[in-house]
Amino acid sequence: MKLKGTLWTLLRSQWLLLLAIVLYGWAFSVTPDRALEALTVAGTSFSSVLLLIVAVMGLVGVIQVWISRDLISRLLGRQGGFRAFFIAAACGTVLIGPAYIIFPLLMSIRAQGARWGVIVTVLAAYAVKIPMIPLEVQYLGWGFSLTRSLLTILFAIPIGLAVEAIMERPAAIRPP
Amino acid sequence: MTNVGLTYLLLIVITYGVLFRISPGRTRQSLAVAGQSLGRLFPLLIAVFALIGLFQVYLPPEAIQQRLGAASGWSALVSGGLLGAVAIGPPVAAFPLAGSLLAAGAWPPAIAAFIVSWVSVGVISLPVEAEVFGLRFALARNGIAFLAALLIGLLVGVVA
Repeated sequence: MKLKGTLWTLLRSQWLLLLAIVLYGWAFSVTPDRALEALTVAGTSFSSVLLLIVAVMGLVGVIQVWISRDLISRLLGRQGGFRAFFIAAACGTVLIGPAYIIFPLLMSIRAQGARWGVIVTVLAAYAVKIPMIPLEVQYLGWGFSLTRSLLTILFAIPIGLAVEAIMERPAAIRPP
Repeated sequence: MTNVGLTYLLLIVITYGVLFRISPGRTRQSLAVAGQSLGRLFPLLIAVFALIGLFQVYLPPEAIQQRLGAASGWSALVSGGLLGAVAIGPPVAAFPLAGSLLAAGAWPPAIAAFIVSWVSVGVISLPVEAEVFGLRFALARNGIAFLAALLIGLLVGVVA
């Protein structure tokens, strides 16, 4: 009985890892060469961002313990008003690195009093990569790149407000 | 990327050094929080990277190109958004791919939707997002980001 519970917990918490293992098992049995290639790609990309992951977690620790709740909720919470969204959009455009590394960082800011809309706005504005605009222009031209970037920024705040509205809908009208 | 990571890590180590001089107790507390979040996310991240490897080998740029090049109109727009949502990788890889598609005559709105969706919608990283923020948030954010990617794509077609 106890063992069954433990297995279930493991399955629930690590289902993605188990899924990856199963997929690799399948890939190795069908096309061993390509599976090995996939594993190599996985290993090299993981090791290239490993330091960044550790650094970001370090930053999460600093934010949670050292940055005061008052400051965050004054700047990025309801009290921050619309300025909070402009700060969020600006931060989003300069952040780099894969989004799934930024998630814990944003959650620590959320836990310290930032509103949902601000978190989502950062993630939406994140599709504008100011450090990479020269590269985008090189491949796609000025007209395309600038239009895409401007539209993405314009949409960032409405997207933030929309997701916040979904998150804060009263429990009574929440779909089951 | 390794150099960027090293730079950030160095900055964080220096920050911890400075904070330790101010208050060793709170710094240890920070370290504990950092270790906990790293431990919680580590298996998930390993899984995500394992899947990234599979995707890059089994869904290579050529396959995306074929799919997007053949489609037109609405189906191209939706394909662009969907391919961007499942594709994962640095935008550095998205731009050359998008450039070659545009040069090959692909519909610009579909390409714009593809890029925006590539960066802001993540099907593979959805489990990580749900683990950190909760499932409701992950679904709502990715759903709305996907719709926005299509809309931004269409508008790029009108303006550019």
